[in-house]
Parts: sequence; C-alpha cells; structure tokens
Amino acid sequence: MNYAYWLTTIPGIGNLRILRLLAMAGCAREVYGLSKKQLEKTHLFRPEEVECILASKNGDHEREYHKLIESGMYVCSMEEEAYPQRLRDIANPPFVLFGRGKPFSAAKKTVAIVGARQCSEYGYAVAKEIGGALSACGAVVISGMARGIDAGGQWGALKAGGTTYAVLGCGADVCYPSTSRNLYQAILEKNGGILSEYPPGTKPRAGQFPQRNRIIAGLSDVVIVVEARKKSGSLITVDLALEQGKDIYAVPGRIHDALGEGCNYLISQGAGIIFDVELLAKDLNLSPVSDAHTQNLNNFSLEKEERLVYSCLDLQPKSLEELLEKTQYSMQQLAVLLDGLIQKELIAENFKNYYVKRL
Amino acid sequence: MYSVVSTAIIHGIESIPVFVEADVCDGLPVFEMVGFLAAEVKESKERVRTALRNAGYVLPAKRITVNFSPANIRKSGSGFDIPIAVAVLAAMGVVAPQSLAGTFLIGEMGLNGKTQPVSGILPMVAEAKRQGIGRCIVPPDNVREAGLVSGIEIFAADSLGAVLAILRGEPGGICGPPINIEETGEEHKLDFADIHGQKLLKRACEVAVSGMHNLLMMGPPGAGKTMIAARIPTIMPPLTADEQMELSKIYSVSGLFRKREHLMQERPFRAPHHTITMQGLSGGGVVPKPGEISLAHKGVLFLDELAEFQKNALDVLRQPMEEKTVRLVRLHGSYDFPADFMLVAAMNPCKCGYYPDMQRCRCSAQSVSRYIGKISKPLLDRIDICVEAPQLLFRELNETQAEETSKEIRTRVLETQQLQRERYRGEDFSYNSQITGVKVKEYCCLSQKQEDYMGQIYQKLNLTARSYHKVLKVARTLADLEQSRDISMAHLKEAVCYRSVDRQFWEAARD
Repeated sequence: MNYAYWLTTIPGIGNLRILRLLAMAGCAREVYGLSKKQLEKTHLFRPEEVECILASKNGDHEREYHKLIESGMYVCSMEEEAYPQRLRDIANPPFVLFGRGKPFSAAKKTVAIVGARQCSEYGYAVAKEIGGALSACGAVVISGMARGIDAGGQWGALKAGGTTYAVLGCGADVCYPSTSRNLYQAILEKNGGILSEYPPGTKPRAGQFPQRNRIIAGLSDVVIVVEARKKSGSLITVDLALEQGKDIYAVPGRIHDALGEGCNYLISQGAGIIFDVELLAKDLNLSPVSDAHTQNLNNFSLEKEERLVYSCLDLQPKSLEELLEKTQYSMQQLAVLLDGLIQKELIAENFKNYYVKRL
Repeated sequence: MYSVVSTAIIHGIESIPVFVEADVCDGLPVFEMVGFLAAEVKESKERVRTALRNAGYVLPAKRITVNFSPANIRKSGSGFDIPIAVAVLAAMGVVAPQSLAGTFLIGEMGLNGKTQPVSGILPMVAEAKRQGIGRCIVPPDNVREAGLVSGIEIFAADSLGAVLAILRGEPGGICGPPINIEETGEEHKLDFADIHGQKLLKRACEVAVSGMHNLLMMGPPGAGKTMIAARIPTIMPPLTADEQMELSKIYSVSGLFRKREHLMQERPFRAPHHTITMQGLSGGGVVPKPGEISLAHKGVLFLDELAEFQKNALDVLRQPMEEKTVRLVRLHGSYDFPADFMLVAAMNPCKCGYYPDMQRCRCSAQSVSRYIGKISKPLLDRIDICVEAPQLLFRELNETQAEETSKEIRTRVLETQQLQRERYRGEDFSYNSQITGVKVKEYCCLSQKQEDYMGQIYQKLNLTARSYHKVLKVARTLADLEQSRDISMAHLKEAVCYRSVDRQFWEAARD
C-alpha cells in the first residue's frame, strides 16, 4: 500500500500540515498507524478533521492508486530516492509529486521561462527563441504551460528537439488551459513530463497557481522572465526563486511598455539582462548555439516594393490600415505584396489584418 | 335614408378600401356601429356624436346604424371620425349623396370638430387613385403627403365644417400646394470626403456597396466606424421612382413622413440602439407597424456594438436577409413588409475594445473569444466583408489632402452594379453577394493556379465551404470594380483580407 498517496488524498489537509505531521511521526506509514488520541495530541487538527483522517482509511485508495498507475501516471513522494533533490531544499516542498511522462531528473541544467499570458507577439517570439536556443545546447526548459510566454518557451524547446517539463496548478491529468492541449501532448511525446503536487482530477483554482510557482522556481537553476507586467504571477515566481537563491534573468522591455515594466524593474533590482541569446548560453555554461535558425533579411532578394512593405513592419503587430497609410499603395497592391512576404515566411498575419515581422 | 362614404385602412404598407355606410330609420333611438371594429374605432361613436352636436347638428331620435364594409377585415386606426360623421349627416339628409361619389375621406376629429392628421395617408391616396376616385379630403397636416400622388385632387379640411363646405362645392378648402415629385437635386449633407484616412474602411465600403455585400467593421472605440457607416447611403445608386414610392409608403405608415416635401429620395440610414427588441427590429404590434429593418429598406441598417444586441433580436435578421422581406403573422392576418437592406455592423474586438493591442487590452483570451462568440454563426455567415478599423493616427486626422467625394465613388459603384445586372439577367439575383451556392462555380471561375492558391488558403485559414464562397464572391466584385472579366490573383488576395472573423480566426495564430 502507498501510504504517501493516501496522505495526499485526505480532503482539507494541505501540504504544510502533512509536512509537520511527518516531522512528528517520521514517515507516512507511521502516520497511517496513528490512533485518534495520537492525532488529537498533535494539535494540528480540529476534531472533525481527525474524524476525516480516520474515515479516509476506509477508502479504497489501494485500488485508486493502481488505477492511477495503470493510466500512465506516477506518484513520487519525499520518502523516495527518485524525488528531485533540489526540491527538498526549498521551503514547503511538495510532499508528493504526481506526474505524467518522464520523471524529472536533475542531470541537466534547468531553466524556467516565465512571463505574461497576454504577451505581445514580440514576447512570444523571444520566449520561443530563448527556449529553442537553450534547449539546443542541452538545457531543460521548465514552465507552467500557460498561454503566452510559458507556451512560447516550451514550444521553442520542443521545436529545437529538447525536453521540457510543465508544472501545473491542477491535476497532472487535467490539461489547463485547454487551448494548450497540443502542447500538453507534444511535451509527453517528446520525452518531457507533466508535474503537479495536486492529486489527479484536481480542478484549476486561482489559489493553486502561485503555489505551483514555487515548484517551478525550485526545479530550475535559472529563472528567465520574458515579458511581465508590474503586478504579475511571474514576479511571484521570481520572488520565490530569489528566496531559494536562484539566478534571475530578464529580457529588457521598452520604457512605457506595460509588458516591459516587470522585466525592467527586475533588471533595476540586479537581474541579469538578456540581450544576446548566445551570450546567455555562455553565461549559463552551455555550449554555444549554432546560428542556423536565425534568419537574415540579406539572404533574401526582395523586390523594391516588398522591401518597402517589409521595412514598415515591426515586431509589434501593424494593422492593414497603418500599412496602407505608410506605403500609400492601393489595397490590392498591398494585399499581393503582403501575401508574397507571407509566402517567403518573412512576416506573419498573426491576427486578421494585423501583420508582424517574424524573428 | 342610406348613404356611403369611401375611406381606407392600412394593412401592412398597403391600403385596403373601406366603405362606411350609414342608415337612419325609425325605431328605438340608438347609435350602432358594426363591422369588425377595433376599440379605437368603437370609441369614435362618442367623438362623432359630440362633434356633431357642437357643430350644430342634432342627431334625430331614430335608429342610426353605421356599417363598415367589407366586414371580414378588422378596422383599426383613428381616421374614421370624419367618414362616420359625414356618412351620418348624409343619411340625415344634410349632405347631398351625389357629392360623396368619387370622394375619399379620412381624418380624426376632436370634440370641437377640428381634424387631426393620421398616418399612412400616402398608400391610402395612392390606392384611392387606383380605384378611380377623383378627390380626397384630408386633414391639413396630411396634405403634403397626399399631394405626392399625382392625378387626384387633394383638399385640406381643418374642421368638419370645412369638409362639408368642400362637399357643397364652396370655396374654402385649402388645396395642397403643388409638390415637386422630380428629384429636387438636394445634395447629401454627408460626404465621404469628410473622412480623412481610414483608407481600408473606405475601400471596404465601396466594395461592399458595389456587390451589395453586408459589412462588419471591427475596431476600438473612436475609430470612426459610425461616421463611415452613416456615409454609406451616399455612395449607393439613386432610388428609382418605384423604390421611392415604396419607401415613402413605409415611412407614411409608420407616421414618420409628415414634414417631408417630396418622396423619400435619399436612401435611409437606420441606426437602432443595441437595446432594441426583436419586435423593434422586425416590426410588431397587434396591428403590425414596420420595424427598423423595413425602415432601412433599400438603405443601410447600421448595428453599432453588434455584440451587445440581444441574441434573439439579431437572429430575427436571418430570414429577412435572405428573403428581403419580413412576414408577420397575427390573429387577424399576415402582414408583409419589405426589408431589402444592406447590413453594416460595427463592434469592438473585445470587451475593452483594444485587442489585439496588448499594451492596452487586458482581456483574457477566453473573454475575447466569448465576446466574438456572442454573435451567432449564421449571422456571421451572412456577412461577406469584415475589416479592421484601427484607431486613427493623429497624422491622418489632421491631413489636409483632399479626399475622394461620395459622388466619385458612386460613379464607380454604379458602373459595377450595372455590369452585374447585365451579367445576371435571367437569373433570380442581380448582385454578386446573392449568387447562390451552385452558381458560384459558374460566375466565379478560377484558373488552375488560382485554385491551387485557394486550396492552400483554405487549409491555412481553416475556411468553411461557406466562407470560401464568400471570398470568391467578394473577389468577383473586386474584378467587376475594374471591369475585368476574369478574377485575377490580386483580386483573390485582396478578397482574402476581407474574410470574416470567426472565433477560431480571431486568436493569435501561434503553434
């Protein structure tokens, strides 16, 4: 019987109290053996909670546990060797990690890439580039699989053939956000893993996400913030990482840019500045990146008109109206030129009638 | 003694002749009215009795019966006071029966005998003329409207006394001033030249009107969407005489015509507020009155803040958009109102209005998707052209460069529409937007290269069969605008830019 699993399935008893109880009792098996009187003596629980603990022993967690294993998940508690060593060092480590895919191992350098969900196109592209470049030199990318920067970093890693781990704020079998379904699948297929401290089936709840950030920070050697607003979950992750003594890097933003405020603030507080991905890799003692994936405009011979349209574009989405105004072309000419540039994969239409340069 | 007076009621936007018969005979003194009467017509009895007494005519202590024929149609409206009074007086022998032959009477009456205007005069007088009636006596406020029908004599009577005077052949009735039915040449007050910048929107409007495509504009508040929409009627072709009459009838029936001096010559622009109900849009009431979609007949129905409209109100648009008419069925019959309008809608891209400007928009992806999702798919499917209306740059606002006037744009639109009408002679549609599914292949044929390109686009943009057809129809209009026989690659590429939004397209195109 897996006593650690039993311990995490008791409703209303959180990680912190589990840890305290273990400090008293020694191990999960001992906790299982505690009588009502002994439990009351710990002064950790209200009477009804004690009842709840005792009642939970009657549940069929043995079968539930096997069902879980059969469904391809695993459970790893602090009592096991396989539990990531670095997580033991943080404050309030999760007693149990549930996971899907490959279990986490600390053999490689790990980088967390975090940032805003409502990010800009530029931010997404940068996150993808950093994720790709670092995993191409063997780093493992860790993130929260959220929309925006998180997904960008993880997709970058996957596209570069690297591995990545996602730490969720819901059960590891629950794909949240649902729009990340493709990412969820790809992570599992590409030798990565999904981790969570919450039992399978746990619904995403707002309070659980800042909690999971401590695991993201705890699993990584370095935390990279790509785009973050001043008050954001990314900065919570950074605070937790600082408490754990991790290095912080941030991608500088423009001033007056709401999405750059958080990063610029971090830089002003002493975070590392990412201005060159190769240098970042060197900084992290990773072997340099081959620059195969960086495209250069000079490699393409563009027509004069196409060049003009291309020069009007930016990493911020530009609307069709703006382009018409700037280039003074007719709608039809512009439509043809834009389509040509899209075919050459130099630009992308990221929203309807909004165009952006591709990195 | 028996008498009969011609009058009419309104049914939909048409008029049905009604005869008011009166008979005074011996019997118990009673004033009885029969003939399927609505409450307001029954009340008329008291008004007539009092007004007659105040005018110096005492009703005899006899049995007075008033009948409205035909008896199978429900009579409603307030215009029966004058016909009843005159019929009763004729039955009493005060008015000569021969003076009533070939005379049409209508008007509400106060207790002092003064006449009040009624709505729906135009269709009534037009119908009276068709029936071969020679003269109409109407309240003074209705005289301009009645005068729009040529070939029938119009008299204005401000009181019962004046009506009787006209009937006796005395001078005293004010004849309506001659009214100019020809185009008065009045220029539109609004003009596209007023708008600086917004080239994309202007172009989209021109294309939309040319092929009679419905249009959706998406953009942040203050982008000038309403301003542009209000100018769309100015680039539509002028109304034909029949259309003017039809439209004028709709406005007449709705009581919106009174102060006009000529037929409706400008195409209407209706912009109902987004709190409008289903009935407000489609038309409603026990005796149905035209709704906003009929008031926008042959013109533009502009729905600002499309996503804020009630869902069921918007869904009412679906059938009229296909059939160009709306049929309302009531207990006492069904009513058809014409509703051939061009739908122009505007909406914000998200709740705050700034998406996809991530500097300002803080809506979550779900909330954006939910906002777009408020508009039902079938309605979006009926909108061919969709464009972004970004906020105006300051430079554009201050531009002094002369912009194209509505007149110049209209010339091109006229040519394009003419081309389509010729091409579709013999078909049951006349504009590109109305090409039916099976005919798309025939009229929008593509070369092999173009088909390959569209195949790619189909895959990449995840189009549906319907949205694919819409792109082709818009490309057809673009080709027609250049008087080109074939659709070129450039036309297709431009048409792709105007494709409609859908929840799935309206998300960042990422992995």
